[in-house]
Amino acid sequence: MFNLPNPQIGGPELFVLEFGDIVAYFSPYTAVLFAFALLFTVLVIVSRPERQVDIAFGGDAYYTKEVEPDLLRFQRFMAIACGLATLGAMVTGDVFNFTLFASMIGITNIGIVAAYRNRHVLNAAFQYGIVAMLATVPLFGGAAIVLSSTGTLSMWELFTAAVAVPLIAKAFLVLGVMGEGMAPFYIAKAEITRAQGAPFILMVHVSSLLLFLRVMEIVISM
Amino acid sequence: MIEYLLFATFIGLLFHGIHRKVIARVQGRPGPPIWQEILHTLKFSFKETWIPKTASQTLFVGIVFVAIAIWSGALFILLSGGSILLLFAVYLLHKIVEHGMGLSTGSPYTKFGAIRSVISAASELPLLVTVVAIYFFTRSLSIADITAYQEVNGPLLIIAFPAAVAMYLVILSKMHYGPFSIIEAKEIVSGNMTEHFGVWRAGLEVAYALKTYVLLYAFVLIFIGSLPLWLALLAMLIVLVSLSFVCAVTPMLSPYDTVTIQSLVTGALIIYIVILGVVMG
Repeated sequence: MFNLPNPQIGGPELFVLEFGDIVAYFSPYTAVLFAFALLFTVLVIVSRPERQVDIAFGGDAYYTKEVEPDLLRFQRFMAIACGLATLGAMVTGDVFNFTLFASMIGITNIGIVAAYRNRHVLNAAFQYGIVAMLATVPLFGGAAIVLSSTGTLSMWELFTAAVAVPLIAKAFLVLGVMGEGMAPFYIAKAEITRAQGAPFILMVHVSSLLLFLRVMEIVISM
Repeated sequence: MIEYLLFATFIGLLFHGIHRKVIARVQGRPGPPIWQEILHTLKFSFKETWIPKTASQTLFVGIVFVAIAIWSGALFILLSGGSILLLFAVYLLHKIVEHGMGLSTGSPYTKFGAIRSVISAASELPLLVTVVAIYFFTRSLSIADITAYQEVNGPLLIIAFPAAVAMYLVILSKMHYGPFSIIEAKEIVSGNMTEHFGVWRAGLEVAYALKTYVLLYAFVLIFIGSLPLWLALLAMLIVLVSLSFVCAVTPMLSPYDTVTIQSLVTGALIIYIVILGVVMG
């Protein structure tokens, strides 16, 4: 019933999942990204955080920091939510759903680090929050331009040669994803990684990279 | 497939040994024998192994298996003529491995390595631009289609030379002892690998050997074309030796300088792509 219009980019379609008129699909490309997101979501669920070793300056002493149970529960909850949003973004066949998942990833990424009581980490989370908020304008604006210029948001239609998506819409989508997911790379990530809870902090990175990989496939295919 | 995986691991480790030997000879040192990395991996495989008390245990162990899995998958993609977008994905996922490896231990040295790995995210950008540049010419990202295109039109190394330079830089970014190897710099002990020893280190050596093999083979396939295995290995060796020369004569850059250089190369390639877009419509 469904055939991906351009299998030369992410490979042929393997499996589709219909939700009414929204049809998620698994190609070799999206399936690999989905599997990777799933693997790290499972790792988040089963892992306990590391105990960071800090050196006490001015002496030979060092101490290990423990993650408080409340913080652990909150970080894990946010990381799982981030994993679920990433899973959705990897296989959705609808541009608007993709933008929704992308913004949810941005929110949960901030949540993972914002609960950690450290001035540097909180500053970084605050900066990330501002960029993520600003990025919703090009992100949803890109989807809106796609809809207004082509009449559809379905990737099954947009990927065909008959539908021409304006370059500005593609640029806005990439810009929006960079703001939502990739923001920490450029403004705050080094500071964010000061926070404890390796499996949860790693989810920030996993979701960013996977989101970037997916938007590349979408933009090249359109 | 299993026998090819073993073959690629063996060749990858041998390449690492040759890399060290060439660097040493250029610098006027005798250097280790070329099979040294194979011996290292065997030695690590039988060493006493445990998990540091401060580590996030599941992540500490899991990340080693993830590293082996993604590069085995990348080898499969190459052999099956899959999409270079998938290969690009694997390259990016390797960044998560580097990051996760560093964060999982609790050690400040590995954490520094992990943070440097995040800072050097710019090393992925030239590869992305390479992918886009190749798509301009071949109108497909399938490796099978790219090699078929080269059989008709000649090697992309000549047709899309700037893209080949960018991919060369990408491979250089991942070479040991190179100007961009900031995540395993000696001032932070062994960077993000510091706490992975014994069997875990052996696993990582295997994954890194596969990575070297895959990246070099991908370069040959994408920019020269499909060759008989012995000729492909020879071409890979030539690329490797040239990389070793660069590593031998270039000091390690500071973290921010690596980002600057990689970003400049990306910028130059974006200009190249814009020109391509205008010229080729």
